[in-house]
Amino acid sequence: MKDLLHIINQQELEQLIERYFDGMTTIEEEDMMRQVLAQCPWKSEVIDDARVVMGYFAAHSEQQQRQATHGMRQRIIGIAASIAIILAVGAFALWHQQQPSDVCIAYVNGQIVQDNDKVMALVANDLSKMDNAANAMTDQLSSLGEALELDNE
Amino acid sequence: MKRITIIILTCLLTTIAAMAQTGLNINRLFDGRYKKASGATEIIVTGVQAREIGLTVYHSLSVTDKNQAELVEGLVVKDGAQAVDKEVEYRNGQLYYGFYTMKKSKRDNRYIFYLNQNLARKSPKNIVTLIYMEGLATQEEIKKLIRK
Repeated sequence: MKDLLHIINQQELEQLIERYFDGMTTIEEEDMMRQVLAQCPWKSEVIDDARVVMGYFAAHSEQQQRQATHGMRQRIIGIAASIAIILAVGAFALWHQQQPSDVCIAYVNGQIVQDNDKVMALVANDLSKMDNAANAMTDQLSSLGEALELDNE
Repeated sequence: MKRITIIILTCLLTTIAAMAQTGLNINRLFDGRYKKASGATEIIVTGVQAREIGLTVYHSLSVTDKNQAELVEGLVVKDGAQAVDKEVEYRNGQLYYGFYTMKKSKRDNRYIFYLNQNLARKSPKNIVTLIYMEGLATQEEIKKLIRK
């Protein structure tokens, strides 16, 4: 920036601005003019007018950028919200799957039994049968163990 | 945006559906085919009643038909081959009693009991019983449960 202020003085800047408003400047000159206007301490009617115009463009550009940023932010929030909803639905489904609903029912010879006590009595009967068989096996193993012990004596 | 939502939702539901399968051969027997069959008893207990006996799922099937009994035995033996622990007794080349501890399903332990009463020495009956249990209960707790 200091280099630019060494290259151009206030008078030259004012001339450049006038040429700018006459549409006689090149793109490089306009870029330089913007940079000098943004940083230089000089004040005059021409320079101030130019600053207002350039400021407008800068503000306009900033507004566009803000709008674009706002739009992008809205999209990100939308995507995040969708993912959050999907994860919540998924978590609920998994939780629901892990918590089986209350069912207590039996089908006996094609007849439905829905009385909890009767169903649980059937369950107890099932378990009792298994217990008897398990005991029989344990008894057999005990007898086998005893027989082996006797054999070893 | 909608497309992304639909894709994610589809993937999620597919995963959930896949996780719902327990991967046991005996599941074939619990597809509702015995609900209206004579000579069969099917019991399903989940939720509050199951929790009262320390389980999350209790599902049993008793059949009297010889062909059905063979089907049950075949599927139990298949699952039994994948068991992490088992107590079995064969009589005359047939499975008489089996207590299988299967691989866990998520956090729950899974157990299969099988009994062919036709092979019982005392008062044999033409009944084959299969019990599937699922819950946090340990092997010892399951054994205590059947002793009650």
